Amino acid sequence: MSEPLLTVENLQTQFFTEEGVVRAVDGISFEVNEGEIVGLVGESGAGKSVATSSIMRLVENPGEVVGGTVRYRDEVLVGFEEGPDGERRRSPEMLSEAEMRTRIRGREIAIIFQDPMESLNPVFKVGDQLREFIEINREVSKAEAREIAVDMLREVGIPEPEERYDDYPHQFSGGMRQRVLIAMALACEPNLIIADEPTTALDVTVEGQILDLVRDLQAKYGTSFIWVTHDMGVVAEICDRVNVMYLGEIVEQAEVDDLFYDTKHPYTEALLRSIPRPDQTVEELNPIEGVMPEAINPPPGCRFHTRCPDAREVCRRAHPAYQDVTGDEPPHRVSCVKYEDVGYEDSDPLETAATGAFGGGLVEARGESDE
Amino acid sequence: MSRLRYAAGRLLQSIPVVLGVITITFLLTDAIPGDPVSIMLGPSPSAQQAAAIRAKFGLDQPLHVRYVNYLIDVIRLDFGQSLYYGVPVTQKILERLPVTLLLLVSSFTFALVTAVPLGVISAKRRNKPTDHVSRIVALFGVSTPSFWIGLMLIILFAYKIRLFPATDLVMPWAHPSAVDGASTQLEVVLTALHHLVLPTITLGTLQMAAFTRIERSSMLEVLGQEYVKLARAYGVSEGKILRKHAFRNAQLPLITIVGLQLTQALGGAVLTETVFSINGMGRLIITAINNQDYLLVMGTTLMFGVVFVVGVIVTDLSYAYVDPRVSYDDTD
Ligand SMILES: Nc1ncnc2c1ncn2[C@@H]1O[C@H](COP(=O)(O)OP(=O)(O)OP(=O)(O)O)[C@@H](O)[C@H]1O
Ligand code: SF4
Ligand SMILES: [Mg+2]
Repeated sequence: MSEPLLTVENLQTQFFTEEGVVRAVDGISFEVNEGEIVGLVGESGAGKSVATSSIMRLVENPGEVVGGTVRYRDEVLVGFEEGPDGERRRSPEMLSEAEMRTRIRGREIAIIFQDPMESLNPVFKVGDQLREFIEINREVSKAEAREIAVDMLREVGIPEPEERYDDYPHQFSGGMRQRVLIAMALACEPNLIIADEPTTALDVTVEGQILDLVRDLQAKYGTSFIWVTHDMGVVAEICDRVNVMYLGEIVEQAEVDDLFYDTKHPYTEALLRSIPRPDQTVEELNPIEGVMPEAINPPPGCRFHTRCPDAREVCRRAHPAYQDVTGDEPPHRVSCVKYEDVGYEDSDPLETAATGAFGGGLVEARGESDE
Repeated sequence: MSRLRYAAGRLLQSIPVVLGVITITFLLTDAIPGDPVSIMLGPSPSAQQAAAIRAKFGLDQPLHVRYVNYLIDVIRLDFGQSLYYGVPVTQKILERLPVTLLLLVSSFTFALVTAVPLGVISAKRRNKPTDHVSRIVALFGVSTPSFWIGLMLIILFAYKIRLFPATDLVMPWAHPSAVDGASTQLEVVLTALHHLVLPTITLGTLQMAAFTRIERSSMLEVLGQEYVKLARAYGVSEGKILRKHAFRNAQLPLITIVGLQLTQALGGAVLTETVFSINGMGRLIITAINNQDYLLVMGTTLMFGVVFVVGVIVTDLSYAYVDPRVSYDDTD
């Protein structure tokens, strides 16, 4: 296989808050190949957005990328090395801020943010915003940039793009704004587009249209995507490969079919079970039990053990290794002690949110009322 | 086009506001204790004389008749005769209004020209020394009474180092022959600017401080917005983000505050004019009140009201100009 377009290795990003250090992204690794759509899924707060901003080096105070490597082709976007004093410091190969700005952002990697309603500047014309980014990232004149902008608006399905060019964002619906943002990303002709839950704010029909659009455009331009979402349905529809994220870590990674039909990690199973089906009533829905713990003090051992239906005593002690479990190509990686030789089988079951904690909670409550 | 329509609409809306100002002014003046007749005729006039004066000024009429008469006069821009000065109120206002407007314009210009860059730099260098200094300056500015600033400036710059004059404000449009040591209009303007320095700082410091705080906080807010992040993600430089992507949005709260500060500034003008012996509207209204010159009180109050209404309209129009969401319909 050829070299991946983007390689992320052991990336770590932390927020230094007054309450403590938030380990929002805690050592994730994945790669994106040319022309591939790679999914990044997980519940709210898993660290998906922080991961994408870290790749672009757009993490804002009090956050900071503190470790790991991000390589885009031959460029080192994030890199650290050990100094003579044993301190971790930026590697000299790492691109400077100015290089990131002029060589990478927009030109090579473009991003579509989570919220289409807030991503466009309300006081500038939609077309002009598009044109500005094209001018910055491609060697074209102002007039040419305008033409590209209009063409791209047409391509993403904005009717009468010549007229709409001069409209302001508030004159566009949510779906139309999302199309504009997609047009923006494509018009700069990057090789990689990071789409951070681009359809979450939209209703289902519009979401469907946008997904179709992206699939068509991806086939046409061969752009790679990192597609961030919390919706397994969207993953099934659009992704080639998927990374499942939980509390700052990637816990499973596989081709999309493998992930759905040969699921390894209990969290992925729970995510899949939680997809609502049309034949279910509200009571029959299967949300994942419990809530994701804070990233300030993540649980020891396996981070999912507080909610895992399969959790055993050993899960609380051993931090599972992230490893390929099939030996096939492409690999199917998973991080769960069930696939390690650390005595899972002989360990006692744990009471968790998914197994017995709720019952236990009731007993405790009764005990208190007796006093 | 839609901006023009918005402007026209806004002007029409101000008519009832001005009417309201007239009405309230009229009623308040009527309620002020003291009898103008006794001021005109001395402490013990004869009943006959008093009745004649009352008839002459229409003071013998019932309230609603007087109100309607006054309204008609005002519409004809006739505010009556000043009792104290013995000249038409309109003449007095025309003489004094430009002075106060000059003072307002120059202090707002001073405030904006200093506050906007200060606020932007403060926001950009948040929690760095520059930010702290500018915040302390702003805090000092909002918490110091303007008359005190005026007196300190006079002591320091007019008497101790004699850098700027404290009295005898010259109007930039005065004729050169009427101004000491000036032979050309340019020299008149320069003299006027020289004289304006201290009153401008006195009146403008509070505004400057208030604007700096607003500018800083709104700039900070805008810099955290998703569209600023998007601009960064597309390789726009920090300088351009400040100057273009964030700047325009950040001015919206400032515009609102500029309009609101006008009331404060009108009050400040009264003090400033007193401290610097400037013959503007502020001193006029004080003279009018002290002498129970009720027509002059009404006329000047009304003028203050109109200045404020015009200020608010200008504010709204600027806001609509900067923010397309205000003047454009969502319907098309
Ligand atoms: N500015 C910040 N300061 C402190 N903590 C932060 C900050 N931004 C993000 N975090 C923390 O980082 C973690 C991951 O957040 P992130 O926004 O990446 O989640 P996400 O997976 O994108 O969720 P969502 O689906 O809601 O967008 C969260 O625990 C969050 O509290
Ligand atoms: S390691 Fe244990 S707790 Fe974690 S996912 Fe596997 S079984 Fe569940
Ligand atoms: Mg997110």
